[in-house]
Amino acid sequence: MNMRVLVIEDDIEHAQFIEKVLGEAGHNVETVGDGVGGLVRAREDQFDALVVDRMLPEKPGLQLVEEYRNAGGTTPALFLSALSEVDNRVEGLQAGADDYLAKPFAPSELVARVEALGRRQTQGEPPVTQLRVGDLEMDLLSRSVHRGSTKIDLQPREFKLLEFLMRHAGQTVTRTMLLEKVWNYHFDPQTNVIDVHISRLRSKIDKEFDHQLLQTVRGAGYCLQA
Amino acid sequence: MKSGPFAFIRTTTFRLALVYSTLFALFSAGLLTYLYQATVGASRAEATARLEAEFRTLAVAYNRGGPERLEQSLLERALVRVRDFTYQFETVNGRTIVGDMPRMPVDTSDDLGEVRRVTFEVERPFADRSTDITTIEGRIVRLDNGSVLLVGIKMDERNRLVQRVTFAVATAAPFGIILALLGGFFSASYASRRAEGLTRIAEAVMGGDLTQRADIGSSGDEFDRLSERLNAMLARLEDLMAATRHAGESIAHDLRSPLSRLRNRIEAALSDDMTVETARDTLAQTVEEVDHVLSTFSAILSLAKVGTASGETFEQIDLSELAEEMAELFEPACEESELGFESQVEQDLNVIGDRALLAQAISNLLDNAIKYSPAGGAIAFTVSAQDAGVRLSVIDSGTGIPEQDRERVKQRFVRLDRARTLPGSGLGLALVDAVAQLHKGQLLLDSAGHPDPNTGLKVSLILPKRV
Repeated sequence: MNMRVLVIEDDIEHAQFIEKVLGEAGHNVETVGDGVGGLVRAREDQFDALVVDRMLPEKPGLQLVEEYRNAGGTTPALFLSALSEVDNRVEGLQAGADDYLAKPFAPSELVARVEALGRRQTQGEPPVTQLRVGDLEMDLLSRSVHRGSTKIDLQPREFKLLEFLMRHAGQTVTRTMLLEKVWNYHFDPQTNVIDVHISRLRSKIDKEFDHQLLQTVRGAGYCLQA
Repeated sequence: MKSGPFAFIRTTTFRLALVYSTLFALFSAGLLTYLYQATVGASRAEATARLEAEFRTLAVAYNRGGPERLEQSLLERALVRVRDFTYQFETVNGRTIVGDMPRMPVDTSDDLGEVRRVTFEVERPFADRSTDITTIEGRIVRLDNGSVLLVGIKMDERNRLVQRVTFAVATAAPFGIILALLGGFFSASYASRRAEGLTRIAEAVMGGDLTQRADIGSSGDEFDRLSERLNAMLARLEDLMAATRHAGESIAHDLRSPLSRLRNRIEAALSDDMTVETARDTLAQTVEEVDHVLSTFSAILSLAKVGTASGETFEQIDLSELAEEMAELFEPACEESELGFESQVEQDLNVIGDRALLAQAISNLLDNAIKYSPAGGAIAFTVSAQDAGVRLSVIDSGTGIPEQDRERVKQRFVRLDRARTLPGSGLGLALVDAVAQLHKGQLLLDSAGHPDPNTGLKVSLILPKRV
């Protein structure tokens, strides 16, 4: 999946880093160094995702996203900010951003989150009732999971975890993303609690089968792939 | 405050004094008017009533026995020494039949039977040549045979009373107004002195001195209550300032050493002949070190944030639900570390608090329990109602903490010797402690009650239901 990403970031070194990271992941990146110019570019061209710094010259990121949304802009946006507290996160999401990433971040975290935004965009309108990755099927209405003809029993949380992985199939999702989106917590436990949940889920969906769907991406996170 | 010759007009003291004295003057005027009415007015009314009664009596005498009977009645009355009535009875052509006065002192009317009210003065000379002027209120009537009868009542007594009361009022009023002004001044100056005191405190605080406190009197009035709240506010501000300063100092102090270490490593690497391999290794180590610095930094920041939080993000939280979620999150990790995990969560325990911070605190406690328990051990997680709050306990089977160290480990960056080999920033318990304090709760460290005192630690977070 090749995405066009608009990065609005005034710190040149940071901007180059983001450009490099996203570029290596196969995406096209355009960089703008101030808020006003960023808003203009976001409006006149169709990007797949916006990456916006909170503190920008000319126009703060918060205001930029708010104005962009008020004018009917739909491209998903990700805030980058050194302000990482929960309140700041909530502020960012209320302004109309779709995700929030605190600086400093691991490159894989940025790529994972930007790609998650792109997927959101292409998912389209009709609500999905069935998810499928390879021979793994999830029925969201009856809340049942099958792999091939085998029925798989999952705990509610495992179901939610698998649902998130299936919705982002083919993308790398990070541990922080899982803790945020599946458990709704915004802190870093020192113990690798997420890894253990993943390995439990893996034992249910992959153990009896030859083809392993749930992969560990070294130094980044996990990826569910057919 | 603006000064000038008339600055005092703007003071509360002046305004209140003015209001007080005006009110008092109005009150005095009202009281004196009433007094006047009650004495002078009543006395006048009484005199008039007596005059009219006397006049009616004489009219009855005339109606029954004609002028002769009237004349006789008047003569009888002349014999009575002490009386305040005065009479004058004249024939139609002005000759006096019976009379206290040489002649009729007022004009007579020509209409028969019409009673008129008259007021007149009679001058009486004394031996010492002084004169006495008597005011008389009278009723005059021309009877049907043309003769004229005047009956009067001396108003002197009443008039003297009027004079006395007027004099009393005139003398009392200025005193009253002066008293009112003084009263107003004193009560207002009390208020303004107290307000002035608070102003001075505010100025001192603006000047950076947060140790100033307002005086609190013993009366418990509005000023005392205001001063109390102000002092409480200042105490809180002082705490916050101290916390912020402390956080700043900690950042400076605790980030300096890892940063210098980092710098040394990079410098050493620069002076070495590097192969791609060693350069890669060095950089990887450097990234690790930087990550550590960053996580310490965020831990310090969140600790500072908890220390300065005010409870505005507080909401009703189902702590039972939160605890169960945390238990569910950590249970597999315990199993992975070969630890037994048992959780007992009482249902429907609600607290008012910050959900994210409480989750973080519980996570820190469970993290610690897993980190410090050897494989094969067990962790017990219980949440139960206690008194007016909730007790949340984590019992591990680690080596415990000696009694003398139990308070110390709550401080920032304190790590016991046996913990140094394990990863950690030394901020975990400090954060839990800060969260406990923010919720007006307590963090208690205790032995797990294991027969071997060097086994097990029981960490309890006590949260009141209401903050």
